[in-house]
Amino acid sequence: MKFVRLLTLVSTILLGSWNNYGQISPGELSKAHQFLEGVGNCTKCHDLGNKVTREKCLDCHKPIKIEIDQKRGLHSTSALLTKDCFICHNEHHGRNFKMLKFDTATFNHSNTGFELKGSHTKKGCEVCHKSAFIKDTELKKNNSTYLGLNRECLSCHEDFHKGKMAANCLNCHGFDTFKKAAGFDHNTTKFPLAGKHKTVSCEKCHISNALNSNNESRYYGLQFTNCASCHKDVHEDKFGQDCKKCHTEESFHTLKANSNFDHNNTDFKLYGKHQMVDCKKCHKTNLIDKIKSDHCFDCHVDYHQSEFRKDGLSPDCDQCHTTNGFIESTYSIEKHNLLKFSLDGAHMATPCSECHKLTEQWKFTKTGRFCLDCHKDIHQGLIQEHYYPQQECLKCHTTESWKSIKFDHSETTFKLTGAHAKTLCRNCHFNIGEGDIIVQKFRGLSTSCLDCHKNIHGTQFEINGKTDCLRCHSSESWNNLVFNHDSARFKLDGAHKNVKCMKCHKQNTNVTEPTIMYKTNMLNCSDCHK
Amino acid sequence: MTRFVHRLTISIYSITILTLFIILGFNGFSFYILPIEERFFHPLYSLLKPSGILGHGLGIIGTLLIIIGVFSYMARKRAKRFSRIGSMKYWLEFHIFLCALGPVLILYHTSFKFGGIVSVSFWSLIAVVVSGIAGRFIYLQIPHSIEGRILSLQEVLDMKEEMITAFKNNYNIDISDLNSLNFKLFETKINTKNFAKGEYQKVKRLIINQRKLVRRIDRLDQMQNVFKYWHVAHLPFALITLIIMIVHVVVVLALGYKWIF
Repeated sequence: MKFVRLLTLVSTILLGSWNNYGQISPGELSKAHQFLEGVGNCTKCHDLGNKVTREKCLDCHKPIKIEIDQKRGLHSTSALLTKDCFICHNEHHGRNFKMLKFDTATFNHSNTGFELKGSHTKKGCEVCHKSAFIKDTELKKNNSTYLGLNRECLSCHEDFHKGKMAANCLNCHGFDTFKKAAGFDHNTTKFPLAGKHKTVSCEKCHISNALNSNNESRYYGLQFTNCASCHKDVHEDKFGQDCKKCHTEESFHTLKANSNFDHNNTDFKLYGKHQMVDCKKCHKTNLIDKIKSDHCFDCHVDYHQSEFRKDGLSPDCDQCHTTNGFIESTYSIEKHNLLKFSLDGAHMATPCSECHKLTEQWKFTKTGRFCLDCHKDIHQGLIQEHYYPQQECLKCHTTESWKSIKFDHSETTFKLTGAHAKTLCRNCHFNIGEGDIIVQKFRGLSTSCLDCHKNIHGTQFEINGKTDCLRCHSSESWNNLVFNHDSARFKLDGAHKNVKCMKCHKQNTNVTEPTIMYKTNMLNCSDCHK
Repeated sequence: MTRFVHRLTISIYSITILTLFIILGFNGFSFYILPIEERFFHPLYSLLKPSGILGHGLGIIGTLLIIIGVFSYMARKRAKRFSRIGSMKYWLEFHIFLCALGPVLILYHTSFKFGGIVSVSFWSLIAVVVSGIAGRFIYLQIPHSIEGRILSLQEVLDMKEEMITAFKNNYNIDISDLNSLNFKLFETKINTKNFAKGEYQKVKRLIINQRKLVRRIDRLDQMQNVFKYWHVAHLPFALITLIIMIVHVVVVLALGYKWIF
């Protein structure tokens, strides 16, 4: 009786609990499998005596099985091929258990057979794994599936080229960016890229087709037979259409060394030193921009700093200089003679720099035009001013030569006659002083002969203490005597005319300076004859 | 078994249960506190899950411990063949030890996941354990022979009279009026006798034992009633636990979960 009561109690509790729990499951199934709840469904997943087998899972999960059979996708990799599904996709952990939970940050997508590269690594899973990209109609219904994607680029990406290019985008494009077709080798086309063409962005040449509503760039059917197909002819056909004759593809501004370019075909012909100047000296920014070249100073600095400016205008350099060099000048004497100071005489042979001295720089316009602006007045204070008023050298000298004197000595009280007219000025006006210094003597000179000449006759001919040489000599010559022996006390006649002077006029040797005695007082015959 | 050995045994039992409880709890704490949905992703999942190497093992060992604890005790208690092997008191303690340790292991086997029909088994088990602990205290209130046999009322009353007589003869103290409320009075009586120190302790212990006996006699009828009802709770739940456990084991084996075998 006691046992019956016990059995009844146990049975009641068991039945009650069975109703409450209704199963022997170790836990609720996840949402995806909740339709499999219940004791009768255990063997739909569990294999009797063999836990949960792959085959049981794949019987239901056919898309996975198809992938495995086709040897593609994550589940066909060697690491997973023999692995039980429940190792990753476990169950009985409650309704909210995420069977597909995996760390998207560390998941190695390469295991799926589709390695993520470039921009693909920066996108979230949901960007690609969405039903819009899935073709399979059944899988398409599942918003959370990672299956059903195709490896073909165009299965997810829009065909930018609208079928005009090859379907395999990777032939040209990389994974980093679509715009840079890194994998594309332009050299395989009919237009291999060289020089700057290599670095120029594709859009520069393959410009968007305005006719295309998608603003799609043109990558086919471009004209390239002539540079002008893309480039503007900045020379306006002056040099023909074959740009490569002068230009390279490295840079439009770099000309070929063996270029046939002739600058003389331009409006500015190159002469002289311009031919040797590096292009960049004038074409500072580039070779094609027009340079102002009407005047030299459009390029050159005015060395003379507007020194020649007249009426607000400076003459251009080519008035004096040529392209052969700045130092050489075409400024002529004739041009100089148009100025207030004309060149003549020795000035014509004098180098410019003798007058136009270099101070801080060469000066030309402020050079004086008076003699003393350049020359030194060596007579200052030594010649009376009225003989050369205002120190005008040209009163006596000429520009021909300093030594060429045109002074009219008759302006003085001593008119030059005879040999005096032929005598050099210095003979009378320049004395050699102490230390061989030339001493000028223009002032205080008397007209007396003995101021210059030596009296070799002593005091023989003195009259009142003065000897007048001109009584016997003329200015023509010392020996050209005007003395007449007949006017003396002893007239010459007869044989006396033929007797040599020295026979009668003997030298007096009794004095310190021997002189010939002309006044002998020997008037009687016996004074000479025996 | 001396008192020391008995106390040592009890201590070893207690320490073993407590240590295992703490070690297993500490070892898997981070796993056990996780919500069910997240446990699968814990590194210890494959070890501590109910079907894991450790989790499954704990279940099997815990079950075996309980089976041994229950059936060995039952055999000693009910089978005449074993009635003379050891004292019932020690067997009960051994029964309690194994049937407390086993549920601890099973608790960790469940990984604190209580659901499905298996949980009925588990909660029944808990009910058995809790009732066992309660029964242990009820059991103490009912006088037993040295072998653990429950004494009849007459046997207990005889014991009381014997003790009263012994006290009268040996110590000249009348303890016939001793009850649970007047212990102080008799303590004063002992003090006036001027016993030697050792003798005093002995007499005092005898007085305390006599007081326990008087108290148990007073409650005997009541306790025997309670003990009758206690059996109604303890045994059916044990049976439910056993039945569902068998179902659980059969299902698990049928589905191929054989632990290390």
